[in-house]
Amino acid sequence: MAENINAPAPVQEKKHPGSREAKRIRRESMSAEERSYLRRKAVKDRIWPFFRTVILLGLGFVIMYPLIYMVSCAFRERSDMSDPTVMWIPRHYTLDVIRETMDAMDFRRTLFNTLVLNVGCSLVQVISCAVTGYGFARFRFKGKKIFFAIVIMMILVPTQVISLPLYTQFRYFGIKGLFSVNLIDSRLTMYLPALTANGIRAGLMILIFRQFFKGLPREIEDAAYIDGCGPFRTFVRVMAPNAAPAFLTVFLFSVVWYWNDYYVSNTFFTNTKTMALMLTNLDNELKIRLFNDPTVQISPREQIVWKEAGCLLSIAPILLMYVFLQKYFTEGIERSGLVG
Amino acid sequence: MSGKAGAPAEKKEKKHRLISYERRKSLYGYGFISLWLVGTVIFFLIPLGKSLWYSFCDVSVEPGALRTKYIGMKNYFSVLSEDPYYTDYLLDTLLETLWKTPLILIFSLFIAVILNQKFRGRALARAVFFLPVIIATGPVYRIISGDMESTGNSGAEQFSTMFSTNMVGDLLSFLGVYEISQSMTEFIIAVADNIFGIVWSSGIQILLFLAALQNIPSSAREAAQLEGATAWEYFWKITFPYVTPFILANLIFTVIDSFTNPMNSVMNRIVAMKNQWEFGGASAMAWVYFLIVLAAVGIISAIVNKFIYYEND
Repeated sequence: MAENINAPAPVQEKKHPGSREAKRIRRESMSAEERSYLRRKAVKDRIWPFFRTVILLGLGFVIMYPLIYMVSCAFRERSDMSDPTVMWIPRHYTLDVIRETMDAMDFRRTLFNTLVLNVGCSLVQVISCAVTGYGFARFRFKGKKIFFAIVIMMILVPTQVISLPLYTQFRYFGIKGLFSVNLIDSRLTMYLPALTANGIRAGLMILIFRQFFKGLPREIEDAAYIDGCGPFRTFVRVMAPNAAPAFLTVFLFSVVWYWNDYYVSNTFFTNTKTMALMLTNLDNELKIRLFNDPTVQISPREQIVWKEAGCLLSIAPILLMYVFLQKYFTEGIERSGLVG
Repeated sequence: MSGKAGAPAEKKEKKHRLISYERRKSLYGYGFISLWLVGTVIFFLIPLGKSLWYSFCDVSVEPGALRTKYIGMKNYFSVLSEDPYYTDYLLDTLLETLWKTPLILIFSLFIAVILNQKFRGRALARAVFFLPVIIATGPVYRIISGDMESTGNSGAEQFSTMFSTNMVGDLLSFLGVYEISQSMTEFIIAVADNIFGIVWSSGIQILLFLAALQNIPSSAREAAQLEGATAWEYFWKITFPYVTPFILANLIFTVIDSFTNPMNSVMNRIVAMKNQWEFGGASAMAWVYFLIVLAAVGIISAIVNKFIYYEND
């Protein structure tokens, strides 16, 4: 394990092992201290990978456990839940639970709705946040510190604090005395804040873009200015293309955050269906659909199969996205220096 | 975009000679942030102000309108002294954040150091450890962590018993580890008991630390190797100074994350109050909580800022 950076290896020692003779000569030329250092290192290099594997497997299991459990539950009959001999591997395989859950969640329409809403919101929010972040990164103007403090406030204030006034804001949207529209239940409650860089976790995104644009060299912009580009054209033509990896990473995170949001959508939507909302209401929905009776009692243990199936269904699309685009989630952050 | 570009451009033409370059640039600055500024006034500042106003009012709901009557600090007094749950929840949340945050930070730094080493299956290991980033903000996490209603929690219970205190103690004595100090044992036990929550809330932190570790210049590593530094020395003399700025970022992120988490009991209490149409009380609760969070974040960054090593300064 010469590559192990935490146990620094004497350079070149391992790469050119040389003949046995050369090794012996080298060993004799070492001091006792050096020899004991190398011996200790050899032992450590042997043992550490073993411990590392154990640690990673153990903690990896902690993360994977709920997912494995989900898969295990979703494909078994509910009688298996009461069977004490069934722990991981179901006795009766069935697709019924998945099918029933899909039915109760109205899976196809919900999926379509959620995707359109998420991708749309994320798209406009990434663009608006990038524009704002660029403004904060590159221009000097009066009150910038105060405005930026507001951005920080946006990160700090939990949505729950402002959700009620925001509700009345949307309920009677317009100018007082002139006109007002009821926007509750309309998708505009999601699109409007996203369009103006005020959607879910927008403060964080503005901050990220500001950091990112600050890190880009000024020379490219100056070149564009000298060639006669205005600041807005410079941003669109020069800065935005340079920020492509940052855009992608922030966009992916935004999709995830919108996908996972249930508080905001629960506040403003009463009958628009999103994946997270359907999952939180799965219990009632199931009782109505499966048994035509909202008061029916199923033992909590047996309800787990549907619940886990619901979980599996609702994270499957985003999990799929993660599997294919994983490197943009992680490397995007590392490569583009989004943080720091 | 074109609409926004129009306003400053017009001005520019009118008094082309009068406006200096600096001033023009500052106008463009306003142009860039104007969209956000409009939105933030409508969707953030006004609601924030309203909720502050509500917290000083007796709010009653009537068809078509909210009626407010100014009652001064009464909401605050009743929330802090009369509400049966609020102060308890507040203390719980504060304490939990207090001891969980360092654990999360230490844990995520540890994992980041491991994931930064080269070994077979590293890509897979990274993918697994970042998985919580995808899932932990959503309702699925509520279900798998057993918080949701009375049902789905058997999974989590099963799980936490696997890592119960006894098992850790047994394991330690089995390995012949008797001599480590009492506080160390307690630390290990605390980690093991809450391993689920800690692992699941350190996704982003691991990501940030890993990014920090990869920013360490290879020259520093080579110098350490030539001098024969041990892994321990290398960590404290090289790795740690380089990641200190990220420790602050992570610390603040962790604190905010745990405070604004819709699963914590204060948040639940606020939402419950709201659902009972007690808007005045709910707003007062939210503001007390928010001020505490603000103070906490301020104090933390003031303290930690003193210990940070900035390479560029």
